Amino acid sequence: MKKLQIIGLLTIVVFALVKCQKSAVFPADQYDNQLSGGSATAFDATSKSFGNAFENLSSYDEYVHEVGDRVFSQSFVTAPNPIHSGLGPIFNNTSCASCHHNDGIGLPTAGDAQSSLLMRISLPGTDANGGPVAVPGYGLQVQDKAAFCKQPEAKVNIAYTYQTYSFDDGDTYELRAPTYTLTNLYTPISGTYLLSPRLAPPMIGLGLLEAVPESEIVANADPNDANGDGIAGKANYVYDVTTKKVQLGRFGWKANTASILTQVATAFNQDMGLTSSILPVESSYGQSQYDNLQDDPELPDTTLNAVKFYAQTLAVPARRNVTDATIKRGQQLFILGKCVNCHKQTLTTGVNVAFPAVSNQVIHPYSDMLVHNMGAGLADNRPDFKADGQSWRTAPLWGLGLYQIVNNPGYYLHDGRARTVVEAIMWHDGEAATSKAYFSHLSKSDRDAVLKFLNSL
Amino acid sequence: MRTKFILALGVLGLAIAGCSKNNDSTKTDTTTQTTLEQNVLTDFAANLANPNYQDIQAKAQIMNTAITTFNATPTDANLEAIRVAWKNTRGAWESCEGFLFGPVEDFNYDPTMDDWPVNKADLDAVLASNNALQVADIDQLGTTLKGFHAIEYIIFGVGSTQKAANVSARDKVYLASLGESLYNTTTQLRNSWDPASGNYTAEVVKAGKGSTTFTTRQAVFLALVGSMADICNEVASEKMQTPLAAQDSTLDESQFSHNSVTDFKNNITGVLNAYKCQYPGAASGHSLSELVTSKNASLDNKIQSQINAAIASFNGITTTYEKAIYSQQNQIKTVQAAINTLKATIEGDLENFVQTNIKD
Repeated sequence: MKKLQIIGLLTIVVFALVKCQKSAVFPADQYDNQLSGGSATAFDATSKSFGNAFENLSSYDEYVHEVGDRVFSQSFVTAPNPIHSGLGPIFNNTSCASCHHNDGIGLPTAGDAQSSLLMRISLPGTDANGGPVAVPGYGLQVQDKAAFCKQPEAKVNIAYTYQTYSFDDGDTYELRAPTYTLTNLYTPISGTYLLSPRLAPPMIGLGLLEAVPESEIVANADPNDANGDGIAGKANYVYDVTTKKVQLGRFGWKANTASILTQVATAFNQDMGLTSSILPVESSYGQSQYDNLQDDPELPDTTLNAVKFYAQTLAVPARRNVTDATIKRGQQLFILGKCVNCHKQTLTTGVNVAFPAVSNQVIHPYSDMLVHNMGAGLADNRPDFKADGQSWRTAPLWGLGLYQIVNNPGYYLHDGRARTVVEAIMWHDGEAATSKAYFSHLSKSDRDAVLKFLNSL
Repeated sequence: MRTKFILALGVLGLAIAGCSKNNDSTKTDTTTQTTLEQNVLTDFAANLANPNYQDIQAKAQIMNTAITTFNATPTDANLEAIRVAWKNTRGAWESCEGFLFGPVEDFNYDPTMDDWPVNKADLDAVLASNNALQVADIDQLGTTLKGFHAIEYIIFGVGSTQKAANVSARDKVYLASLGESLYNTTTQLRNSWDPASGNYTAEVVKAGKGSTTFTTRQAVFLALVGSMADICNEVASEKMQTPLAAQDSTLDESQFSHNSVTDFKNNITGVLNAYKCQYPGAASGHSLSELVTSKNASLDNKIQSQINAAIASFNGITTTYEKAIYSQQNQIKTVQAAINTLKATIEGDLENFVQTNIKD
């Protein structure tokens, strides 16, 4: 229904504009340029633009989405409690929305009520499933908050060093490089441990990304750079706790999670300390903070599934000003700079008769869903399944231009070190070194055109 | 859930307008309209947002005074005075949720003051501990241990059964600091808009003329209209629907004070305030309603009558919301339908109006 309306709308727009402009300005292959999420595109550029449901849901599905929305936005509390029971005893935050503010990217601080940065932790090596090795007494994530009278696992300290660099034309920019340390450990860790910072990512379009066929993603992989373009995207294959199988990793900054359901269940368990049928063991099990309550799973399946469905059915904001000449020039420069070799403009979701909302959609996530070596500067040096210590998943860029509005002021990259899109670009390295150099060589007006284009996403 | 899918006619209007030229008479119209748009924004900040935030702060101060009085003389009458002050502060707060954008969300003043539910297990643990319970200590606690609902829990109790004699010495210390902490947040919220302080007012007033938040006037109008639709959705589809659907009164927001119906009604009154640019005790100003009337009087009539109908529909619920979810389900559904009708008009006609008519 909505798709037809949108197609109808575009036809009208094109028809109206054709009356006073030359048709060549609107080649047929760009008609859907602004529909970043296909039929699951929302025409909204306000601070709430990441919170729109798919338009074409049944009334029952709308209801489930609403239930998920409410759970997503409300706090959980320490057990026992009549409702929303089971927070902690150790956790990173008390609600989904506390990190994913307005369903958007988080705030790169740790320990405060609205902090959205967490630290993954592990020992060197790989576990039986090929994943990171849990640290005794800590697991795979540092929970830096705790219920009253319980001790957080550690305090996460973030320190930045600032350095000024220059583009080729002499204009300067500043990058801030973070250092992460743990203090106030509740129990010592023997030997070396690896840390990886992860900022709460935007929630938009996840259902669409989940619906892209594995074959389409893998087809873009070039792990040995056979085509010699300097870019060697790899698919991450990860052990999935829901299916108990190795699957293609799609979500998370290192694509270490296979499905939205697993992502949601893991976030409840690790970020908030809530057990579910998928992860029924408390994150604090075996630790001094463990509550010894026989209340697991704390989260009913209906609640878990409602939040999963909510995450699955958040629409993608439409692009703005797609016909603007500067934006179109910026897009061409983005293509010429080979940014699109990883930030792939277009993917198509698979046919799914059981879930028409995500079926057979042409989408523009600006991501290939693969992991790439991004160089030493961004490296966490903590392998996560097939993603090595310098690899990160190509972040989808849809919605990028709205970060500042949705999450004023907006931060970028896996740990929010970049305060602007320019900084995010200039942190690129490794497989993206050539593209970064291309951007740095551009004149100011061309750089601005690229930024204006990115701001239209 | 929010559904903001652009309407074909709006875009058609924009598209066609993009290739037509103004003649002299439309130029005059444009000047008049631009002036009115500017006046609406200026007055939204001056006659609604700032007075509303000032009022929340003033009422939080009155509540603090009532807490101080109660703690010195813990009678049931003085406890009741805190309850009245709590409801008054709550009323001003719920009203401002009719336009929930800007610092209130950017700086998380909303969850800091109004998180839910209360973390009773931790609250009991805090009271049983040797924590000093001073304001600085409260500020270190999670948001489910402070704000409106933690205060509500102490002064009303489960089932609204609290008695002055049952408020312990520790409760009183905690209550005083909770009140002070809430007041501090209301002060931050007020200052964030105050032209003499954080001056978010300028971001609104200078929309399209140097505002970094709103690069066009249309953007701020869309934010305003979007926030009006949001609260409709939150009230009808979330706050009212969740306890109703689950048949569970513990899912009700202001369950200790039995104040939820008033909360809901004040939320929708906030929508009326936002649309009409009015606030009790403040001068009325140029409003979105006036802007709509200037182009489409029948749409203005429709919106006003739907807002008023939604507010009036609450009169059908004659008991507490905790009871109504069992005994007055049809009345609840009538309210939800009235709010959903309003929401559809705001998201459809009104947003389309903004898209079509506010072009700068």
